[in-house]
Amino acid sequence: MASRIFDSRIRLITLAGLGCLILISIAVLSRNVTRDLNLLNSASSDNVQWTLSQSEVEFLDFKLQLITALSEPTPDLKTLRREFDIFYSRIATLRQSSIYEDLRLEPQFSAYLAKVQRFLEESASIIDQPDSNLIADLPVLLDRTVDIRPSVRQLSISGLTYFAVDSDARRNAIAVTLTQLAVGVTLLTLTLLILAIYLGRLNAQNIKRRAEAVDAGKRMNIITDTALDAVLVSDAEGRILVFNSAAEQIFGYNADYAIGKELGELIVPDHHLQAHNVGMQRLRDGGARHVVGKGRIKLEAKRATGELFPVEFAIQSAQTEDGEIFIAFLRDISHQMQAERDLVEARDRALAGEKAKTDFLATMSHEIRTPLNGLLGNLTLLQDTKLTPRQNRYVKNMETSGKLLMSHISDVLDITKYDAGKLVLRPVPMSLSDLLRDIVDNQSGAALANNTTLTWGWSGPSVDWILSDRERLQHILMNIIGNAVKFTVDGQVSIEAEVQETEAGEPLLQIIVSDTGIGMDPALQVQIFDDFMTGDSSYDRNVGGTGLGLGIAQRFAKALGGTITVESEKDVGSSFAISLPITPIASPATETPSKSREHNDKSVDILLVEDNEINRSVAREMLQAVGHKVTEAHNGQIAVDLAKTHRFDLILMDISMPVMDGRHATREIRAEGACANSPIIALTANAMPEEQEAFLQDGMNEVLTKPLNRSAMIDMISALAQSEEHSTPVQQETATLVSKAYLDDLRDTLGEAAVEKLLLRYVSEMETAISYLKDRKQHSAEEISQLAHRIAGSSAALGAVEMRTTLVEIEKAAQTDDHATLEKNIAKLQNIWDATQQQLGLE
Amino acid sequence: MFRQLFQTAAVICVIAVPTYAADLSAPQEDVILTVSGPLEVTNVENTAQFDMDMLQSLDNTTFETRTIWTEGKHLFEGVSLAKLVEYLGIEGESLRATAINDYAVEIPLEDAVEEGPIIAYKMDGEIMSLRDKGPLWIVYPFDTNSSYSTEMTYARSIWQLDRIEVLD
Repeated sequence: MASRIFDSRIRLITLAGLGCLILISIAVLSRNVTRDLNLLNSASSDNVQWTLSQSEVEFLDFKLQLITALSEPTPDLKTLRREFDIFYSRIATLRQSSIYEDLRLEPQFSAYLAKVQRFLEESASIIDQPDSNLIADLPVLLDRTVDIRPSVRQLSISGLTYFAVDSDARRNAIAVTLTQLAVGVTLLTLTLLILAIYLGRLNAQNIKRRAEAVDAGKRMNIITDTALDAVLVSDAEGRILVFNSAAEQIFGYNADYAIGKELGELIVPDHHLQAHNVGMQRLRDGGARHVVGKGRIKLEAKRATGELFPVEFAIQSAQTEDGEIFIAFLRDISHQMQAERDLVEARDRALAGEKAKTDFLATMSHEIRTPLNGLLGNLTLLQDTKLTPRQNRYVKNMETSGKLLMSHISDVLDITKYDAGKLVLRPVPMSLSDLLRDIVDNQSGAALANNTTLTWGWSGPSVDWILSDRERLQHILMNIIGNAVKFTVDGQVSIEAEVQETEAGEPLLQIIVSDTGIGMDPALQVQIFDDFMTGDSSYDRNVGGTGLGLGIAQRFAKALGGTITVESEKDVGSSFAISLPITPIASPATETPSKSREHNDKSVDILLVEDNEINRSVAREMLQAVGHKVTEAHNGQIAVDLAKTHRFDLILMDISMPVMDGRHATREIRAEGACANSPIIALTANAMPEEQEAFLQDGMNEVLTKPLNRSAMIDMISALAQSEEHSTPVQQETATLVSKAYLDDLRDTLGEAAVEKLLLRYVSEMETAISYLKDRKQHSAEEISQLAHRIAGSSAALGAVEMRTTLVEIEKAAQTDDHATLEKNIAKLQNIWDATQQQLGLE
Repeated sequence: MFRQLFQTAAVICVIAVPTYAADLSAPQEDVILTVSGPLEVTNVENTAQFDMDMLQSLDNTTFETRTIWTEGKHLFEGVSLAKLVEYLGIEGESLRATAINDYAVEIPLEDAVEEGPIIAYKMDGEIMSLRDKGPLWIVYPFDTNSSYSTEMTYARSIWQLDRIEVLD
């Protein structure tokens, strides 16, 4: 296209150039013609032929006068002289005049002229004589005159011939010039003709293109009119140029009305108008573009009715001959927005439904746990009374059933928590071997009943102590091993533990539980981890279960970063593989002391806030049994009133209560009154972590989950009451000897009794070691090093950090034979040990 | 003839005499130019006749020019035709100028303008002889005014002039 335009332009320029050239040559020719005509017109010519003939006439006049003079007695000499002078003058003119310059170059003419001139000069001498002499010489003069006559004639004729030739030449020259001119004019005419034809063609092309452009415009109009989006085009001033039919429908204006109107006034809502005008002004000033060419933008627009509605639009600009124009594609998105709102609403409803389900489960667990709590509490109290062996058996059965029910509820809660992403792991130091042994011991009765042998062992080196969530791990293993025992009759169940390494070099625990039981077909294998999956329903009647066990086990395994996989063959047996990443830690001890630590707590003044009467009485009984003083309150308001005036050592606060709930009451108590600083323990069946967090934020110190576990409650009360008493600076100073937080955590997880056992074992181990070190001279450095290493591990496991640091120093010193350091550290070991024992609450 | 003379004299007495009659004396030497036709000023028989002294006594005009009939530039001195027309009170269409050899040409009165032709009586300060196109020659200032370079003007450049007739 471009090259075509270029070509046609070149053609046009060439033709125009040619025309110009011809025009110039015609101008030159015209000038020549004018010059020639001027030569003809004015010129330096005079009437030369006349002058030449005149010379002959005047010569003849003179000759006639001369003859006349000879024939008369008194000749008219004056006239004769005058005629001579006239002839003389004429010849002088021929000699002098520039007109005859060229002629004089003619040798013939020149010769005659010279001859005539000689005659004139000789005759002049006769003419100029006095009259008498002249009269005498007249015959001589006549003779001479007659003699010169042919020469005068020849002079005249030769001149005339020359001028005739000259004139011919000049005519020819003019003829040539005129011919050239005619040719030039013809050429010019031809060129102009070609140019005219060419321009005509160009014009035709332009007309065709214009028609095409009009067609394209029409097509464009059809396209914009059929577009579903409103298409608006405006100039830089904001005046509407195009308003398609979709725009008519959307905005409610007629295109005829809208075109030419100001865009802003027509469709921009009043509260956007100022910003719109500022934006348009900025566009005109060439400022930054906030909207043009920025893709899709959502804004409000205004209909003819004044109704505002959401639009999505994109604006682009284009340069035209009339300046910049803006093309906007607008879409009425009110329906879309409505759909989005509906969708959001539906999602919110679904989420609310989900929350309702979670809330329902949480509430149900609370509602079930509360009476169950009462039931189990009363059973505990009943066991403390005097019972017949039969009654005692019934009570035990009831307790077993109650605990099973509680575990089912816990299962449901666990699933809820996991699915809500709220399962929180509590890793603690634990012994894998102990756990497996306990479970095997636990299940051996059931296995024996099925005539099944149950064995366990390590494959490869054992890794006893690890940091993991013991409770969850136990749950997984109990479930899988329990299932294996349940479904195996007259067979074998073997448990094999092994520590492998992952690709990343991390230790990976694998426990494989294989049985020779009923096995599963493949269809069942893929379903067993589903919730409420109970396998063979007929068999299920024999073994029982909620069908949640494996689902929960799988969830826990995932939460611990591991997996449970299964291989099984119907009627041959199943093999479950549990894989978990583990964190091995140093063994804290090697043997378990049997002595349990007694609670020697003094009586604590407790405010018990609980609306449920059974729960309240159970708690009261439990507390009073260990010697605490208990004041009861039915709801939060009563508790607040009581706490205002009387200072309680500790408050047990139920959460869900009429009149005023526990959280509100806690905030009130914390705000002012005698108990503003008393420890408050929340009692809740709502075990959701975020709720517990909220309780602590309200000012509660601890949370106890219902059903109340007596020892947990007593321990917590004792710990809180003690920390109240012992908040002395002395303890702060020596706090670095023992990591109390770690120890508390250990107590929470392993139980006070277990920790107590560990501590006692640690004490005896330590006493032995210290006396061993005291007579160290009898032992080798290697033995000392090994001992220090072992005891440092025990110290670490129980949070005795300073002991551990010192023992590590001893170990290093023994290894490097650094006696000075060894001596120094062993010397201070006794003192650190005394202080550590104090902080551990031993002695 | 007498009657005509009388009439003319009468006209001169009545009209012209108070203004011009005394201005143009009769020629004392050879008459070299005779102006005839309707004139306001005359001296001899309804004509105005001039000898060389009379012409030279009129306001003279001098210019230098080339002509096609002479070689090189020449200085011409004479009475401008306009001056003569004014002097003689000529009012008419044209002048018929006639040479001694009876060559005659018509000069329209429009030619008698300032910077226009003169009736030259001297060339290069010399009286012109009959042999040198004298004694009188109507010369146009060809050099200063190129529009005089026409055949018509060349034809009007009459030499050996001796008569002028005023034509109505």
